[in-house]
Amino acid sequence: MRRELHAEWTKTRTAPGTAWLLSAVVVLTAAASAAVAATVSCPETGCDQDVARLGLAGVQAGQAAVAVLAVLAVSGEYGTGMIATTFAAVPRRGRVLAAKAAVLTGLTLAAGTVAVLASVLAARLILPGNGFTAADGHPPPSLSDGPTLRAAAGTVLYLALIALLSLGAATVLRDSATAAGVVCGLLYVLPLVPLMIGDPGLRRLLWQAAPANAGLAIQTTTHLDDLPIGPWEGLGVAAAWAAAALLGAWLLLRIRDVRA
Amino acid sequence: MTDHRTGGRDGFRRLVRAEWTKFRTVRGWVAGMAVAVTLVVALGLLSASGSHASCGMNGVETACTLTAGPGGEAVSDRFFFVHRRLDGDGSLTVRVNSMTGQIRLPDAVPGTRRVVAGVVPWAKAGIMVKDGVRQGASYAAVMVTARHGVRMQHDFTGDVAGTPGGVSPGSPRWLRLTRSGGTLTGYESVDGRRWTVVGTARPAALPATVEAGMFVASPGDLTVSRGDLGGASVQVRFTEATAVFDQVRVEGRAGGTWSHDDVGVAYEADGRTPHHPGRFAEAGGTFTITGVGDIAPSAEGTRIESTLTGLVAGLIAVIVVAVSFVTAEQRRGLIRTTFLAAPRRGRVVAAKALVVGAVAFAAGLAAAGVTVPVGAGILRANGNAVLPVSTLTELRVVAGAAMLTAAVAVLALACGVLLRRGAAAVTAVVGLVVVPHILATASVLPLGVAQWLLRLTPAAGFAAQQSVPEYAQVLGYYSPQGGYYPLPPLAGLAVLCGYAALAAVLAVVRTSRRDA
Amino acid sequence: MHATIEVIGLRKRYGRTLALDGMSFTVLPGRVTGFVGPNGAGKSTTMRVILGLDTADEGSALIGGRPYRSLRAPLRQVGALLDAAALQPSRTARNHLLWLAHSQGLGARRVDEVIDQVGLGAVARRRAGGFSLGMRQRLGIAAALLGDPPVLMLDEPVNGLDPEGIVWIRGLLRALAAEGRAVLVSSHLMSEMQDMADHLVVAGRGRVVADTSVAGLIAAASDGRVTLRTTARPEAMEVLARAGARVAVQDRDTLTVFGLAAERIVALLGANDVPFSEVAAHRASLEEAYMELTRDAVEFRATAPGDETATS
Repeated sequence: MRRELHAEWTKTRTAPGTAWLLSAVVVLTAAASAAVAATVSCPETGCDQDVARLGLAGVQAGQAAVAVLAVLAVSGEYGTGMIATTFAAVPRRGRVLAAKAAVLTGLTLAAGTVAVLASVLAARLILPGNGFTAADGHPPPSLSDGPTLRAAAGTVLYLALIALLSLGAATVLRDSATAAGVVCGLLYVLPLVPLMIGDPGLRRLLWQAAPANAGLAIQTTTHLDDLPIGPWEGLGVAAAWAAAALLGAWLLLRIRDVRA
Repeated sequence: MTDHRTGGRDGFRRLVRAEWTKFRTVRGWVAGMAVAVTLVVALGLLSASGSHASCGMNGVETACTLTAGPGGEAVSDRFFFVHRRLDGDGSLTVRVNSMTGQIRLPDAVPGTRRVVAGVVPWAKAGIMVKDGVRQGASYAAVMVTARHGVRMQHDFTGDVAGTPGGVSPGSPRWLRLTRSGGTLTGYESVDGRRWTVVGTARPAALPATVEAGMFVASPGDLTVSRGDLGGASVQVRFTEATAVFDQVRVEGRAGGTWSHDDVGVAYEADGRTPHHPGRFAEAGGTFTITGVGDIAPSAEGTRIESTLTGLVAGLIAVIVVAVSFVTAEQRRGLIRTTFLAAPRRGRVVAAKALVVGAVAFAAGLAAAGVTVPVGAGILRANGNAVLPVSTLTELRVVAGAAMLTAAVAVLALACGVLLRRGAAAVTAVVGLVVVPHILATASVLPLGVAQWLLRLTPAAGFAAQQSVPEYAQVLGYYSPQGGYYPLPPLAGLAVLCGYAALAAVLAVVRTSRRDA
Repeated sequence: MHATIEVIGLRKRYGRTLALDGMSFTVLPGRVTGFVGPNGAGKSTTMRVILGLDTADEGSALIGGRPYRSLRAPLRQVGALLDAAALQPSRTARNHLLWLAHSQGLGARRVDEVIDQVGLGAVARRRAGGFSLGMRQRLGIAAALLGDPPVLMLDEPVNGLDPEGIVWIRGLLRALAAEGRAVLVSSHLMSEMQDMADHLVVAGRGRVVADTSVAGLIAAASDGRVTLRTTARPEAMEVLARAGARVAVQDRDTLTVFGLAAERIVALLGANDVPFSEVAAHRASLEEAYMELTRDAVEFRATAPGDETATS
């Protein structure tokens, strides 16, 4: 695996989009988190907001950049036909997929950590000005708090799972525009579908099954009992989506001819 | 073969034809558009068939019904009316001496009613001529309101402002309503001698014989509380208003004596006791009337555009097709062939935009044209009160969805030219159009932020599907979540088209300058 | 490991199209083998199957006796050029080769060596997207040479090269073969093969229609015609007819002679004092031989193809 990893790392390192997209992950996440923190307020009469979730809300924007990074990692090669060179150099295609997944996971974890730390910092700076103070019983998020640390670390893991899900989807679909469309649909439109369902049982099930809804349950630190799914179980749903996408990708890589 | 005379209109027509041939011969693109239509229709009908409603009346579940005004729109028509018959032309004059009332506030201690004295801004007291006392019947009225001055209103949607200011025992307000054929003129005066015209109205269906008299109404008090992550919950609470009238004078062929009706009152479970009744007392020509409710257009019900929830999913498919329509060519070098065949590259981009825009328009038209009428039919069959709109409005909603789809397709194509990478372009356009709309309407942002998103981003174009307008004379929580866009339909569409046009121009310029 | 490519009975169908229909041949070390055939004959598909990119429905393709997908560092066994345009345009030429080298456990030094070998030293750090087709071909060849492999396989390497480049690649391939490597070069134009290949595999409609040396192919196509130009036509006709040749009159002083070698004609005419100004033996060009062979094997012809003249 060392050679495959080395090759994929060199490939990713020398693609000019990589640095831009990783910066976009950090900037979009932190900026959107800061914007949300700036627009919410806690009035004198008290509020019932989950400060950890508020402070990390920007991941909704940052995940788009993660998805693009992952999709381009494989669709970029299919689009140019370079994928044939890759599979000629490494005929064991599962290893290529594994190496890509490893490099992508590493980069996403790194960028995600920076993004989450920046978001928490922004929330700590902005929220007290909007009435979220420890004196009022609404301290701004702090990583020394157990549930907040779980929310922050879980958000980083969530981003990595979204990267893997996107990588798998892009390998299955090959075309970059289609893959981006499908991933955007999964991340942004699928969470809306439960709102369209009348039956409460089915609505709850669909909510639990949508990767963005369930995965981001990891950010919840208050009213955990009201959630249709627990934080770690929710992250597990996102992981199941990522695993299913990668498994599908691996199976198709094995049986499918490499299209030029 | 390069034709050096591609300058003319024929040249462009040929380009469009070539791009159309390119589009329809790629199975994936045609399939993508079909997927878009299917998503819109399937999700729309799914959500319509999942939405059941029934309205309890005296313990009996019935389908929800709406009161329709003379214009066909849903109205609320509840007030206390003291009236007598008026034949043909004539006029009615009163002096309104005071307006007081009470408002129920949110319970501080659960279960204990908290009622305070006060009137809500749109509490109304005045004079009216109406086609009987049936709810929804045609009318014209001139009135004093608590915070919005004197108004002349008719047929629920018509509203003209007079002079500002309310009434109090020290400063009464005189009102006069004169009928001359089909035209009613409202006057106001501070002293009963010098009169100014507030406005005139021609109600749609006022018969020769009408009921003329005094009325009082007081709409419910609206309390908006912020939920988690900026979501809002809206509560409407009971209020009532009491006004004192004197100097009542009817001119013309008035018949009968003063009678009174609590128009539109609901009854308790026993079927006899009125719920929140109005009151009336007369002593020496002074009338004291207490009324509850409102005479105004109503938005309580399901809107036809709620069947278009799948539009966001369909738009993603359209975006993918539109982006691919250009990036697929750039990637495989076919664009060089295309540019050889048509050296004026800007025109190639224009032709592509025209083709993809037209295809998207057709797809949007087909999708919305099926979903809106069929979905509304399913909603009605499931007992939902669907807010009635005119055929023209329904057509506008469908055409608006088609225009929205077309403009988004052009925007996506242009972004494909500018960004070159399919994944980046698709995500960027989804982020510009779909995500702001979802953020603004799916209750995760404060109202102000949501409204600005729908003014400034291309998502403003979704306003094209709003079927029920916002009425200035009705206090409501006009949020994107409730289906109210901050911009009118055409203005919203114009913002989106502006973005699409700007992107298209940049794409044309960029294409002309850049190496293929 | 033996430097060979063995293709054994490959069959592959894409939907209703039979792309490979029993393709079999062997590429031996020490010589350049030309793989020719019209467009659609199955050359690229065969190469993709050899490289494990596409899977054949039947048959097998072996590199040095092993299937490609079982090779550990395949670019050290086989260097291949398939589609020179198939690279990400935003990456520099050197970085493109660098990731390939890393996938084979090779270092940057080897990358710089092959860059110099193909003459791309000056542009190695430029975006490959800005390269001309010829420069991309050179980059593709550099990638093929990267692992210093005993087997080389190049699909249409001459495409887009200028005349100087064609001469260069011809010399390069011959030198590589001379080092004992097996070299397979495909083309749809026989003329490109004339001075490059030692051996030819001619493909048509998914199978091999000829597997022969270049000289053999030409001999098979030549039919022993000799053109004779003389002012003494009757005398010449008489002498040659007496020697057993069939003579046809072409015009006032030109004859076409069948059944006698040119040397024998010169000797006969000399012995009989018949004057002549030119004796020219007709030698079929490689192109003519190829056209003859593949006439029935062209996929995209309007008329119905007849029986194939397979000689393999």
